[in-house]
Amino acid sequence: MNLDPGILARTQFAFTVTFHIIFPTMSIGLAGFLAIVEGLWLKTKDEIYLQVYRFWLNIFAMGFGIGVVTGIVLSFEFGLGFARFAQFAGPAIGPLIAYEVLTAFFLEAGFLGIMLFGMHRVGKNLHFISTCMVALGTLISASWILSANSWMQTPDGVQMKDGKLVVINWWHVIHNPSWLYRLPHMIAAAYLTASFLVAGIGAYYLLRRRHTSFARRSVLLGTTMTSILIVGQVFIGDVLYGVMLKHQPSKMEAAEGFWEKQSSSPAPYYWLIVPDQKEQRNRFALGTPYLGSIWLAHSIHGRVEGLKNTPRELQPRMAMVFYGFRVMYCIAIVMFGVACAGLWLRWKRRLFTTPWFLRVLVLMTPSGIFATLGGWYLAETGRQPWVIFGMLRTVDAVSPVPAKTLLSTLIAFVCLYTLFMTAFLIFIGRIIKRGPQEIGTQVETFSSLKHAFRLGVLDKKTLESTGGAR
Amino acid sequence: MNTPLFSASLVAFALTLYVLLDGFDLGVGCLLLFERHERVRDHMMDSITPTWDGNETWLVMAAVVLFAAFPISYGVLLPALYLPVVVMLLALGVRGVCFEFRTQIQDLRGYWDIVFAVGSAIAALMQGMILGAMLQGIDVKGNAFGGRVTDFATPYSFLCGVTVLCAYAILGAGWLRYKGTAILHSFSLRAITTLIPIFVLMFGTASVLSLRVQPAIVAVWHQDSLWLGTLVAIMLFNCLWLLSAGRSRSDFYPFLSALVLVAAGVVGLMVIIFPNIVPFRIALWDAASSSLSQIFVLVGACAVIPVVLGYSFFAYWVFRGKTPREGWDA
Repeated sequence: MNLDPGILARTQFAFTVTFHIIFPTMSIGLAGFLAIVEGLWLKTKDEIYLQVYRFWLNIFAMGFGIGVVTGIVLSFEFGLGFARFAQFAGPAIGPLIAYEVLTAFFLEAGFLGIMLFGMHRVGKNLHFISTCMVALGTLISASWILSANSWMQTPDGVQMKDGKLVVINWWHVIHNPSWLYRLPHMIAAAYLTASFLVAGIGAYYLLRRRHTSFARRSVLLGTTMTSILIVGQVFIGDVLYGVMLKHQPSKMEAAEGFWEKQSSSPAPYYWLIVPDQKEQRNRFALGTPYLGSIWLAHSIHGRVEGLKNTPRELQPRMAMVFYGFRVMYCIAIVMFGVACAGLWLRWKRRLFTTPWFLRVLVLMTPSGIFATLGGWYLAETGRQPWVIFGMLRTVDAVSPVPAKTLLSTLIAFVCLYTLFMTAFLIFIGRIIKRGPQEIGTQVETFSSLKHAFRLGVLDKKTLESTGGAR
Repeated sequence: MNTPLFSASLVAFALTLYVLLDGFDLGVGCLLLFERHERVRDHMMDSITPTWDGNETWLVMAAVVLFAAFPISYGVLLPALYLPVVVMLLALGVRGVCFEFRTQIQDLRGYWDIVFAVGSAIAALMQGMILGAMLQGIDVKGNAFGGRVTDFATPYSFLCGVTVLCAYAILGAGWLRYKGTAILHSFSLRAITTLIPIFVLMFGTASVLSLRVQPAIVAVWHQDSLWLGTLVAIMLFNCLWLLSAGRSRSDFYPFLSALVLVAAGVVGLMVIIFPNIVPFRIALWDAASSSLSQIFVLVGACAVIPVVLGYSFFAYWVFRGKTPREGWDA
């Protein structure tokens, strides 16, 4: 078998980064959610908020842990698989990531310990500050990493001197043309992800008639946040679409599934296509007539530009880009529908008692994660064949590491990450099955809120104390 | 202004902190293998859970500053050290998730503990092998790695790996004496007195061998014999002192002594490697990125690192004193 190191290095990076981004997406969203909930608890002294906080802190801690260790891998992987990219772009990208570590990772790590284990040691207010610091850390981290990635999409502020990349303006590197559009898009995606997680789990309990007060509060918090966020997200997404169309026309051409320089008029909006990159045509396409013209050209008979506008050797693979976009877009449409239905039911005071809606919420639990992944596939595969758009091609960036070595480490990553995911899902399943701890009983037993504030470790001790008889 | 020198100091600073801090929690991980009672293992784990994440961040810090300030060396070293780095990352990953996973299930905790201990040991071993591979020399062609990915695997680098593993375990044992309650005292003492002779033997053999493996190291000895001699003397003194750690009344001094021992070793290595960034092949000035990139990183580092050290210290301070017998929630 003839293996290509370039393809393997890309597959390995794609796999590890795909796996990784799931967890920061959840952590960014959940950290913000936890900060809000703890704030509400401190303000209202309503113990259900504390119950919600404790329940999600468990899941947050596990997801954060996996995010940290899979993230460390990435900070080495630029060099492991893409040494020439590292050497070329290090002067521009390296400092951005160094700033991420300096301003975000240490902040998260420093306060995470207090957030998870420090309630008894620092008291409520300082603990709340720690939660906020962790949430802030996740946001700062996202800012830098989005800046670095946006620089690869829309590089700015640099010059070539003797074949070397030299930064001439740092502000332009950080504040590159797509950064401030892509950053809020990602942050809103993370918060949406968390909101659907929270609402979904709450709905699950409501359907089972378990932990009703906890479940109602979760559904209420979750649906409120989704309703606000989805409107903003659709708007940001639309603006970002225009920005990318201007800077990376090839990506958006591929994302809409048209080949000809000018599509037919009126243009359909494609939902399913089977593109043939070699023949530069679609073997099969299914779409809604007129919708393409209306959505993309904003007129009944408008035409849409296709991928043939980009020279063949500079085209991305249409299938990946198109389906990345469609996954994100379709989920966003459903999210919008769910948010509208939620508002309507709330107005009718049937939010907690409409089984079909609750079932939809349960189904939508992981939707944010899939939408985020789709969006990243659009962004990253749509940038190809460039690794730094217009500056360095991916094939020229690969490390001098033999294919067999890359293949064996890829298999190792797949095996290990599968184990992580399986364990994560099993533990989440157990946490959900066990349910939140009933606050009332806790307070009675310990007669102090401080003691009510306990984490996963508690279960071990309750188990020990009950299992002591065994 | 000599910015590459400052950037190199920053890398060195981050790496030193990493070795000292993650060194002890990797060491505690390895020692978990030798403790039969689960309650005691819980106690050992509790001593490191609140702060391990911050410790490991220094490794990422060192890596990204290398990436930002010395992209040439980052692009040579990582392909050259591809296999040990990937194995180290996988091992660090496994042990990292164990912190969370082991609290989730009571009945399987014993297995997770073995996974955690083996992961810690492999990570430590790989870090030592990476060091060994750098000392024995890396094949550089132009600005790229020119050798084979298996070049790193030699008896010499394995010996370096075991040496580092021992050093981390000594740090871990010192930490357990410092943070653990009385139930860990005899365990820690036994660990230290067993490990010190092994460490001295390994370190001595590795040092002598390195003179044969890498002629450049002989040259450094000729040039900086006073420096290196002093550092070796400091290490030997601390080894001797640690052998009698049982007599120490303070629970902190054995840990401090272990820190000094390892720090002296790290400084010694830096004396040997300086002024190169790819040992004996590429000087740090030849691998540096443009000065604006360096300055940007350095300004940020000078402004932020004091704050980072401040709240990292605060995090340790919050969890000061002995680790509670019943965990942090009691």
